[in-house]
Amino acid sequence: MIIAENLTRRFGDRLAVEDLSLEIAEGEVFGFLGPNGAGKTTTVRMLAGLLAPTTGRAIVAGVDVWAEPQRVRTVVGILPEHPGLYEKLSAWHNLKFYADLYELSNAEAQIEKYLTMLGLWERRFEPVGTFSKGMKQKLAIARALLHNPTVLFLDEPTSGLDPESAKTVREFIVELSQEKRTIFLCTHNLYEAELLCTRVGLIKQRLIKVGSPQQLKRELYGRQVVVELKEPIDLSRDLQLPFVHHMHTDGTRLLIQLDDPEAQNPLLIKRLVELGAQIQFVREQDRSLEEVYLELISEEPR
Amino acid sequence: MTLKRIKTVILKEWREAFKGGKAIWISTIAIPLILLGISFFQLLQFSDLRNIPPEELPPVAATLFLVPLLYFLMFPLVIPHTIAIYAIMSEKEQKSLEPLLATPLRTEELLIAKALASVFPAVGISWIAFGLFLGVVQVLLPTAVLELAWQQLGSIWLMALGLFAPLAAIFATLASMAIATRVSDLRTAQLLSSLALLPVLLSAFFLVFQHLMGKPMLLGLLVLGVFVLDVGLVWLNAKLFRREEILTRWR
Ligand SMILES: Nc1ncnc2c1ncn2[C@@H]1O[C@H](COP(=O)(O)OP(=O)(O)OP(=O)(O)O)[C@@H](O)[C@H]1O
Ligand SMILES: [Mg+2]
Repeated sequence: MIIAENLTRRFGDRLAVEDLSLEIAEGEVFGFLGPNGAGKTTTVRMLAGLLAPTTGRAIVAGVDVWAEPQRVRTVVGILPEHPGLYEKLSAWHNLKFYADLYELSNAEAQIEKYLTMLGLWERRFEPVGTFSKGMKQKLAIARALLHNPTVLFLDEPTSGLDPESAKTVREFIVELSQEKRTIFLCTHNLYEAELLCTRVGLIKQRLIKVGSPQQLKRELYGRQVVVELKEPIDLSRDLQLPFVHHMHTDGTRLLIQLDDPEAQNPLLIKRLVELGAQIQFVREQDRSLEEVYLELISEEPR
Repeated sequence: MTLKRIKTVILKEWREAFKGGKAIWISTIAIPLILLGISFFQLLQFSDLRNIPPEELPPVAATLFLVPLLYFLMFPLVIPHTIAIYAIMSEKEQKSLEPLLATPLRTEELLIAKALASVFPAVGISWIAFGLFLGVVQVLLPTAVLELAWQQLGSIWLMALGLFAPLAAIFATLASMAIATRVSDLRTAQLLSSLALLPVLLSAFFLVFQHLMGKPMLLGLLVLGVFVLDVGLVWLNAKLFRREEILTRWR
């Protein structure tokens, strides 16, 4: 649905995005992560037909973005970094203006649908300047959806929202992804990325890594099992289990690295019991995407 | 290029501008009303026109009609100064250009729509004001006065209102827009654009007064000069109104 081939963008002699290649399938929610100034917004702008790449090309929804930018703009929706609404105009007039630019035949029905869905229908005739940040954000999302785009770019949709509004927006994103829309989500919120995204990409000028949150975690840390014991035991004698890559003891807690806990845990537990361990809990150590992110980013040169 | 999208943008500009700035109400409604009032007041000074011997009518009529004409020719220069600047600055301040440029709207359409949103009222108001003025003259003064004035000044009215007014409005609009794209706050934009407008305003005054002293060619030259300026400004604005330019350099 989105194909980027060696996209590079320079601003003067500053390299904003370097040689980015990426493929995103239909219906995916793709998370785009990276520190400030990493080139996320620049990438979105190149993919949405707003900014020409210095070199490289992009195909979005089957359309070559820079051969037919006009057509791309009719099939993608974008929530930019700033909502960019007309503060003096009402919510309704903001959306009506956009609906008319897209020359929608069902403008009013679409406007009603999304304003109702996002809980703004009652306040449709009030000027947007009187809206809270969260309401503005929702309105801007509604604006991006009016023309039923198949590909949606969301640049930090929940930044600056209170936890409740952020949750509403996230739930809305989940709903949208169930409608088979492809969503490209830039975010600094790693919890959000983990929650919503089928795959994430880490960027810092170059694309550092792409994969599902699970994949990235495993790739970096393998899988770890935590075993909590009632009392510390002496493990100076070897476990004698070939599949255990690494074990770390921390009082009553054992941290054991292995490849396939589903198959290997029973053997591990059996062996530990043989060694006299009184096991209270066995669980998988869950790394957060945040740890993965920090690890990968720290490896990159500044 | 679709007229529909252009119309959509123009209507949005007007809706926003009239909700947005006091300056816009002042320039489009208040100032024209005041100048119209002054013109009517001057008319009353001539209320003894009925007693003037017919052979003295022509010079009187000339004075009577040229001063208001001069007022009404100021609108095309003054009105864009508020509307056109607002049309650019409010988009910049609200950061609304990025979502706008993500729609199928073409940048030419955006440029044309923003320009027309300012040129239409600028020209329209000067025509309406002059029309109102003529209407009142017709009612208050003998019919002969208007007939005389038309004989003497008809070609100037047509040229001034039909050619100079639109061309001047285009000039003021495009100059204001070009300045607004390059400046980051409203006040600086207004200050700079008044510096660009002032020379034209003054030369307009100067030339029309020159004409009073019997040099009819001058208005034609003025029209030509403004036309040349307009062509230059269209070229400049076409360069400024490119998607990349708007996204990366309008701050
Ligand atoms: N219009 C521009 N002119 C010059 N440089 C720019 C422009 N836009 C972006 N850049 C530069 O390109 C780089 C990438 O910026 P970009 O906005 O894409 O980052 P980002 O990942 O979206 O950051 P953030 O997380 O802060 O939103 C930065 O170094 C930025 O300064
Ligand atoms: Mg950004």
